[in-house]
Amino acid sequence: MMVLSHLHGAFKGTVERITSPRTVSAFKEKGVLSVSEFVIAGDNLVSKCPTWSWESGEPSKRKSYLPADKQFLITRNVPCLRRAASIEEEYEAAGGEVLLDNDDNDGWLATHGKPKGNNGAEDDSLPSIDTLEINKKNTIQSIPSYFGGEEEEDIPDMGEYEEADNLIETDPATLQTTYLVANEPDDDNILRTRTYDVSITYDKYYQTPRVWLTGYDESRMLLQPELVLEDVSQDHARKTVTIEDHPHLPGKHASVHPCRHGAVMKKIIDVLMLRGVEPEVDKYLFLFLKFVASVIPTIEYDYTMDFDLGSSSS
Amino acid sequence: MEPEASNAQTMDNNAINLILARLETMPRDVARLNVGLEKLDTDVTSMSGILERFYAPCSHPQLSNHLTLLAESLPAESDEEQSSLLASQGNRNRCPVPGILLNTNTLESFYALDKQSLLKAEAKKVWDDIYSGKVEEDGSVLLRFLVISFADLKKWSFHYWFAFPALVLDPPATLVNLKPALQCFTSEEAESLSRACNEWRSKSSTADIPFFLVTISSNSSVTLRNIRELEACQNNGQKVLFGFYDPCNLPNNPGWPLRNYLAYICSRWGLGKIHFFCYRENRGFADLGLSLVGEAEISLSQGGNHENMPNVVGWELNKGKKVPRCISLAKSMDPTRLAVSAA
Repeated sequence: MMVLSHLHGAFKGTVERITSPRTVSAFKEKGVLSVSEFVIAGDNLVSKCPTWSWESGEPSKRKSYLPADKQFLITRNVPCLRRAASIEEEYEAAGGEVLLDNDDNDGWLATHGKPKGNNGAEDDSLPSIDTLEINKKNTIQSIPSYFGGEEEEDIPDMGEYEEADNLIETDPATLQTTYLVANEPDDDNILRTRTYDVSITYDKYYQTPRVWLTGYDESRMLLQPELVLEDVSQDHARKTVTIEDHPHLPGKHASVHPCRHGAVMKKIIDVLMLRGVEPEVDKYLFLFLKFVASVIPTIEYDYTMDFDLGSSSS
Repeated sequence: MEPEASNAQTMDNNAINLILARLETMPRDVARLNVGLEKLDTDVTSMSGILERFYAPCSHPQLSNHLTLLAESLPAESDEEQSSLLASQGNRNRCPVPGILLNTNTLESFYALDKQSLLKAEAKKVWDDIYSGKVEEDGSVLLRFLVISFADLKKWSFHYWFAFPALVLDPPATLVNLKPALQCFTSEEAESLSRACNEWRSKSSTADIPFFLVTISSNSSVTLRNIRELEACQNNGQKVLFGFYDPCNLPNNPGWPLRNYLAYICSRWGLGKIHFFCYRENRGFADLGLSLVGEAEISLSQGGNHENMPNVVGWELNKGKKVPRCISLAKSMDPTRLAVSAA
């Protein structure tokens, strides 16, 4: 496995060196972005969600095909109040469908069951640590809304799920006690949470954005990348989320592997077009981050903006 | 005596120190710096560099925005790197804060450092900048920090201790009043204030200026100004608040920048009654429900004398104790272990 991935890495590196970056738009056809479209979409993200900013990174690591001051996007100090596994467990308890469609061995994972009469006020109903502690049943109502608006039910997840027994095995006792204890400090009443720096780079090989996670524990110590996997949907941990060198930052970071990003984005775009919405390339990152939210459901980075995904022509 | 005064609390209490104690950093980057410094400086016991840390207003109700030391914070090795730092100016999420690093080559010399004197020396710079007027040019000098470190490259462990020098007012400032900003303004004023703040934060010339004046005219229109314009504002009879980017999220505590800000206002401008505005954001936009407006009273007997520098505090507490922090990077840096985990 290691050898394979090294071989692939070498191959990818060579291809990246000898091919010129994409300049023609294939946004609607393939779900991929050209370099200039990445910059356009990044500019839009930064202007609508100002917690994001462009970074220039280390000069030695700069990519010549991107502007020096727009090498990658980052948002820092993003809270992550609970582990992804606890969300999934409650989600399942709430009766959420997990595997949508498996006819062509390309099944999607539905991360957003049927919302129960909720119109997606994402922040307000965020389950707190307190409600977790009392009783799992009490929090069931809030789960669908936690995942966002009802428009999202069609947004597919990455196609890595081939078996129905892919459903998450739950072990409420360990998960909850482990993290609740860790989250509750005894010396003061400040809620301590894990925090993340979330960054987006442009992957020249796959021609898509790529998301990287740098985690910090409750006392702001760097999280080992392996522990970051606890904040990744368990379907993705160690499969689509891998630990690699960040192209601009020092050290190993967890990253959502971009090999399926183009295909997934293409599906999202198709769904939008079926609804009569003409997707615009500058909104690519909002769609992309919404989809990434299914991989890292508890990391509360900002991808909200006032644009209507679902307003069809009907 | 006003009725609120009975509930007044001092500003110099542990709550602020606690906020101080929560400021954490990114040890890995410091480690990188130390590796660099070790190479450069094998014979000298300690070496200092000017670092910049970055901070931004609180942007989430659930947590404070920590000061962050980034890889770029390290002293630039070349002109090119220096220019990259300059290019990041005006980035609203990265307000630079000057600091100094002392790296020792042995654990003994790390412990032998005279921490009180080091802290005093940094505080002296803050104090001098207050009187020289430098604060009006660059408010971030009020937020200086100091870090001492020792990197044990054999064990891959890293010892460090941060200090955020804060001038201690004696007698302490009295907090007369502290409320969510939303409760302190008419709806016209609040709307105008939000708009002014969002404008200030989105303009590249002001986005990273952490201290500012909020002036409210009689027709409810709010303007944000540079602190050097204070005299002009006072003269035309507008209501003036001293605003600052508040990285703290707690509803009943202003963040740490307020300490030196108050010292500055009373020493430089001779004001004993100070209305301040703790500016906080939610998702990158002004949030007046989260922001605070407060009133502090300072006994003026202490102000106005450059010769008598106040006492200074600021070594960061580690779990309530005055000890340095240590982090082991063996897991992520030791080549032997990396080889084992990769196999």
